[in-house]
Amino acid sequence: MKTLIFFFSLVFSLIVQGEGLLLKGGTVHTSDSEGVQKNTDIYIKDGKIIKVGKDLQVDASRVEDLNGKIVTPGFIAPYSQLGIVEIEAVAETRDDRSTVYSSGLSIVSAFNPHSTLIPYNLRGGITTALSVPSSSGLYSGLASSFSLSSSLEGSLISRDIALFGSVSSGEGSRAAKMLLLEDSLDVASRVIEANGWNDEKGLPSSSSYSSRDIIALKRVLSREIPLVVRADRASDILFLINFSIEKNIRLILRGGSEAWMVARQLAKTNTPVILEPINNLPGSFNQLGSRLDNAAILNKAGVKILIASHETHNSYLSRQAAGIAVSYGLPWDIALRAITSNVAEVFGLKKIGMIKEGYRADLIIWEKDPLEVSAFAQQIYISGRLMSSESRSTRLRDRYLNLD
Amino acid sequence: MWKYLVIFLAFLISSCSHEDPFNTDSANSYQSTYNPSDSGDFIIIGARVLTGTGEDYPSADVWISNNKIKSVGTDLNYPADMRLIDATGKWLTPGIIDIHSHMGVYSSPSLRSNSDGNEATDPVTPHVWAEHSVWTQDTQMPLALKGGITTFHVLPGSANLFGGRGVTLKNVWSRTMQGMKFPNAPYTLKMACGENPKRVYGNSNREPSTRMGNVAGYRKAWIQAEKYKEQRGVTRDLKLETLAGVLDGEILIQNHCYRGEEMAVMLDIAEEFNYKVTTFHHAVEAYKVADLLAKNNVCAAMWADWWGFKHEAFDMVWENVAIVDQANNATGCAIVHSDSPIGIQRLNQEAEKARSAGVRAGFDIPRSRAIQWITKNPAKALGILDEVGTLEPGKMADVVIWDQDPFSVYAKTEKVFIDGLIHYDHKDPSTPKPTDFELGLLKPGSDRL
Repeated sequence: MKTLIFFFSLVFSLIVQGEGLLLKGGTVHTSDSEGVQKNTDIYIKDGKIIKVGKDLQVDASRVEDLNGKIVTPGFIAPYSQLGIVEIEAVAETRDDRSTVYSSGLSIVSAFNPHSTLIPYNLRGGITTALSVPSSSGLYSGLASSFSLSSSLEGSLISRDIALFGSVSSGEGSRAAKMLLLEDSLDVASRVIEANGWNDEKGLPSSSSYSSRDIIALKRVLSREIPLVVRADRASDILFLINFSIEKNIRLILRGGSEAWMVARQLAKTNTPVILEPINNLPGSFNQLGSRLDNAAILNKAGVKILIASHETHNSYLSRQAAGIAVSYGLPWDIALRAITSNVAEVFGLKKIGMIKEGYRADLIIWEKDPLEVSAFAQQIYISGRLMSSESRSTRLRDRYLNLD
Repeated sequence: MWKYLVIFLAFLISSCSHEDPFNTDSANSYQSTYNPSDSGDFIIIGARVLTGTGEDYPSADVWISNNKIKSVGTDLNYPADMRLIDATGKWLTPGIIDIHSHMGVYSSPSLRSNSDGNEATDPVTPHVWAEHSVWTQDTQMPLALKGGITTFHVLPGSANLFGGRGVTLKNVWSRTMQGMKFPNAPYTLKMACGENPKRVYGNSNREPSTRMGNVAGYRKAWIQAEKYKEQRGVTRDLKLETLAGVLDGEILIQNHCYRGEEMAVMLDIAEEFNYKVTTFHHAVEAYKVADLLAKNNVCAAMWADWWGFKHEAFDMVWENVAIVDQANNATGCAIVHSDSPIGIQRLNQEAEKARSAGVRAGFDIPRSRAIQWITKNPAKALGILDEVGTLEPGKMADVVIWDQDPFSVYAKTEKVFIDGLIHYDHKDPSTPKPTDFELGLLKPGSDRL
């Protein structure tokens, strides 16, 4: 099954006409091994980055002088409900939950490119987001990735790219959740296409899995997609690591309040972790070991980290979270990768998340260090197109700015 | 058996000994027992000092004497043997004050057994007091201390039209709530507009189920309070005692209210019953009525960017705080509050989000003014500005030393003083003092972290 779909036709219609755009003399944070390149030009054509280097001699139809301003890749939210939730407390605006489907819940058809959260978070620096269902229970559903272009036909980047779940919420024994994880995958592995999907022998009677649910689990078993599990307690994380080895599945950990206690094991098994570094509360008995230097400790041990905001409406605050992680010891360039290239790499988003030849021209020009809370994106490009900086919020501001 | 009899007799005697059994003055009960030891004299030298009064000294000295600020300035004449704390290259601010916290009543870990902030059994509960719920061993408190919080106001939740009394606490470790209680701080009364009360009661088919039902509920209660004032001394009613205290001007109204229209209506209710709204909290739409708030001398406590969790929080703008601050020739009273155990750890960053948004919108808001959103203005709105909120002679020596510009995401506190005593020092791993809850938690032999 093809998991990656690029809408080239749309991209072509959006890009700058002629011979492209030259951004001259920026302080370019490439988000790959090149690190920061000073006084560097970026040449963009047909929605892509064509060249990155010093004193590029190209015949661009538009030239923008950056005067040393910071350029980063557009940020990628590794966990959000962007496009599937408008107002949290208004049930009819929520498409992130289902009691009908579990592991098979794909939210692509529900994604609303005209959600007010999209231009708002774009303005904050997010150009791409994983939109993740959040049903309660073991499996919350399948995540897809979207561009924050507000485009009706061109927002989807790749569909159903990871299965999300949780073993850390709610009541009832965690052991039962771990057993259900094991049993549901075992059942899925026994189901062969010809045999049909209704063979659920081995699952407790309260669990009902549709064909979609089973298919999603089979994709996890075949390593086609990763299983992203929310877990916080160190012993839970260790269980999941061992479980992923035993079942030969691609595990990504989310939450990970106590991940620092098992940093070595996470590193050894190349298990990436999606963190919310701002969240340092011992908010539950699963999170007693929460600490602000979790990200720094994990990175030092060699764990790949991804950084998420703790709230969908302000998904862009992943950069504040990254800044906080930096103040507690995470190197700055690693923090930048945790909200750009690491997310793309871990979720298989091709040619996104770095400033590199051949990559999608999703770029942000900043007035200052983008991890600062006061930083503001001066220009945001998606596929080489300069995006509007307006949002519903700026329209409200403009109406009321001068009351007198 | 004898023991119980003795206690019972003692109770009878004490009950009879009051001359006026219906004395409505609760002020003498539940007194603060907070009593810091003498800090002695010392001077913090060389820091960049934001005083909270609007001053920004590139380098100044702060003299602390017997738990109080003695003086702040560049040429202090102090004895040669004075104890000095060198803060050259650091920043120094007044202790940060959060006017909207639920620490102690919605604690971490967040458990049903700890959920003590909403007496959501009746829409009118001015008789409940947040202080009677406070768990002093809430792990959020030392984390907030590391964020520079020296004083915080604990409010009941917003399920009710009248949620109950709030209490102002100093952020010090104590076995008892009284040991944290800010001496002589006025009581407050939490009121709530909008969606929460009408949802909580409307869902079970009770009044209020609409915003007009909310307003009828407030008015009905105030009418009872007026009547009670006339009959005071005849009978004692805990609910009306609190409401009458508001009408007397002794208890300050802290009013949860998101929408502009509702703030305007609440001001009219205050006029009808002749009381004052001190602060609108969570005032996401304060920018729509900023002139009205400034004219009425009402503060607005706001977030920098929280929004979208419910309909009445849909119209958030990043410039909200700045617009309120700058209203009526910059006479507005803007406060940045947290309502969150995460946010309370970095109100300085929230203030900077709001400041920088204001600056981008064209307002002139220096750091020396923005710091007031988290120091002076909340102190004013809590009725404690004479004692904290700015670095002025005679005030409590609540002082924070930051390793760098506190308006940066990278800033951390280095030392936090409360009444001149050091409660957090980044070089001393035994500070902040862990809560009882955190002892021997992950490993029997050590504290939580």
